[in-house]
Amino acid sequence: MWFTGLPSSGKSTLAGLLGSALAARALPVEVLDGDEVRAVLNQGLGFSREDRDENIRRIAWVAKVLTHHGVIAITAAISPYRQARERARETIGRFVEVYVDCPVEVCMARDIKGLYARARRGEIAQFTGVSDPYEPPAQPEITVHTDRETPQESLRHILQHLETQGWLQVAMDAVLVPHYLTEQLRHRWGGEFERRLVEILAGYVHPEEDALPPAEQEQVLARLRALGYVD
Amino acid sequence: MHLCVIGLDCVPPELAFEQMAMPNLRALMQRGSYGRLESVVPPVTVPAWACLATGRDPGALGIYGFRNRTDYSYEGLTLATSHSVREPAIWDRLGAAGVRVIVVGVPPGYPPRPVHGVQVSCFLTPSASSPYAYPAALRGELEARFGEYLFDVSDFRTTDKPGLLRRIYAVTEQKFAIVRYLMTNHPWEFLMFVDMGPDRLHHGFWRYHDPAHIKHPAPNPFPQVFPEYYAFLDRQIGSVLDLLADDVAVLVVSDHGARRMDGAICVNEWLRREGFLVLREEPREVRPLEPSMVDWTRTAAWGEGGYYSRITLNVRGREPQGILDPAGVERVRGELIQGLEALGDETGRPIGTRVYRPEELYSDARGVPPDLLAIFGDLYWRSAGSVGGGAVWARENDTGPDDANHAPFGIFVAAGLALPPGEVPGLRLLDIAPLIARHFGLDVEA
Repeated sequence: MWFTGLPSSGKSTLAGLLGSALAARALPVEVLDGDEVRAVLNQGLGFSREDRDENIRRIAWVAKVLTHHGVIAITAAISPYRQARERARETIGRFVEVYVDCPVEVCMARDIKGLYARARRGEIAQFTGVSDPYEPPAQPEITVHTDRETPQESLRHILQHLETQGWLQVAMDAVLVPHYLTEQLRHRWGGEFERRLVEILAGYVHPEEDALPPAEQEQVLARLRALGYVD
Repeated sequence: MHLCVIGLDCVPPELAFEQMAMPNLRALMQRGSYGRLESVVPPVTVPAWACLATGRDPGALGIYGFRNRTDYSYEGLTLATSHSVREPAIWDRLGAAGVRVIVVGVPPGYPPRPVHGVQVSCFLTPSASSPYAYPAALRGELEARFGEYLFDVSDFRTTDKPGLLRRIYAVTEQKFAIVRYLMTNHPWEFLMFVDMGPDRLHHGFWRYHDPAHIKHPAPNPFPQVFPEYYAFLDRQIGSVLDLLADDVAVLVVSDHGARRMDGAICVNEWLRREGFLVLREEPREVRPLEPSMVDWTRTAAWGEGGYYSRITLNVRGREPQGILDPAGVERVRGELIQGLEALGDETGRPIGTRVYRPEELYSDARGVPPDLLAIFGDLYWRSAGSVGGGAVWARENDTGPDDANHAPFGIFVAAGLALPPGEVPGLRLLDIAPLIARHFGLDVEA
């Protein structure tokens, strides 16, 4: 899962949310956050085009190794250059590019780490979005718009794509357990309830949700209108 | 101890017990009990089956229709799903007691919920590619044998009636085939399924069956469509009964009845005419009422369409731009009840409309209930929610041709359950879940 986008566009936030969501489905997952990777794996690399490409090449290599061992690798580096991302795609193979689309003005206003301000003051040379270009993906598998979606909406969008494209198994791994059922199990299992529930349901219990996703609601509503149930 | 519940959506006593030849059903009636089954108000598929399965009324469930208000905003309408049913269904209670269940097509059954056994969702499934089975692997098992799951009749609003009829038959045929497969290949003590075929037949073809229908055609291109379908349905019922051992109890039920539709009351046009509803501008064409079209600063009430109408008041401090003083709500409700119940047809002839306050119908009204529930013309009239055109009465449904509306009495036929033999009067849909619970020795009030 290759997140790409401007600084402060929301890559790390979404990568973290996706990591948690996949872990909750009992899937092995590793988040390679851009800043952390730079500090550990790629210490000493700068922000010249060559160094940026090398940064991406190393991240891609680690992601490939993780993927090879069945771990879902989630990367959250700016990865501004299209060519470097395409090379990463070739290296890794099973690759889903997530374009975190957000206007630069919005990113500047967020400026979570104060980097845009420093770049504007000339303290950081070659800063993506200010003094270095960002090349948006031509055909990303997924695009999220973090200026007009909440992080949860973007996450849902990503998960839906992964489900509909067959990367993730749909839904029944997210078994919904109604409250009365847990109460009945508590009654039957007594003091053993917690242990047995954890054993049996760990990783499978999700909070109940009332509403269908909007797209599914529309599908059903269109038919109900045709049938005359609602108008 | 086994029980097989066969649900037939919309089947009325007049057809099942009198007008249609149904030898398998007759045989079951002769060896057991039968009668009219009083539905709930409103007698509409989703609340009705949910009430039948839980033994709770729409107020207790907070399910008043296919869509329910989730809050007091103007937009907050959410489709009822399986998650909307907060009370345990009878199969939940049986499953918790160790009874293995098979549940197929009982609304609202999407998304399918975990059961002690297997479950296939209902016609509210978004698409054939939706995860419609529990456990998930069951979907592949069924599709390998039956192809795509026909959870409902597709393309209902069509003028190609022969094509529609073929699709109705296909849905019924597949539903019974799936049930026969499951009941012979999966362990069960409790089996319940619902076939939507009769409902779709009634809404699509009632005019050809009923000479009193205002659109009954002459010559009639489909004079045999009802007898033939009901004979087919009866053979399908027989095919399930044939697979049951002699000691298996059987219950055939419908959620409500059916009757011809004479026309529609355009509830929002009436509210406009009477000054309760004000739009920002006159619609150029007939179209569904959207919140953005309403001048909320001058609107006291608006309504929804469907087989009946739910009317909501715009109350100060409750709705975002409410204008009605809470102290005046009761007066306005009284005016609306009086006005709507006095409203006849185009000629002023009384049609027997009844308008209810939710607290008259339900001891508890959970969720966000409508302020009024209007049953137009004893259900010979439906509610049209559309605006534009100005007419209060419509002889065509605003969403295309429709022939039938629902009626307050469905049917039950039971064999092997604790009921007196022969015709049993006075049974209500809300009695079914306790009846089943008692059959399996569960505490009825649990």
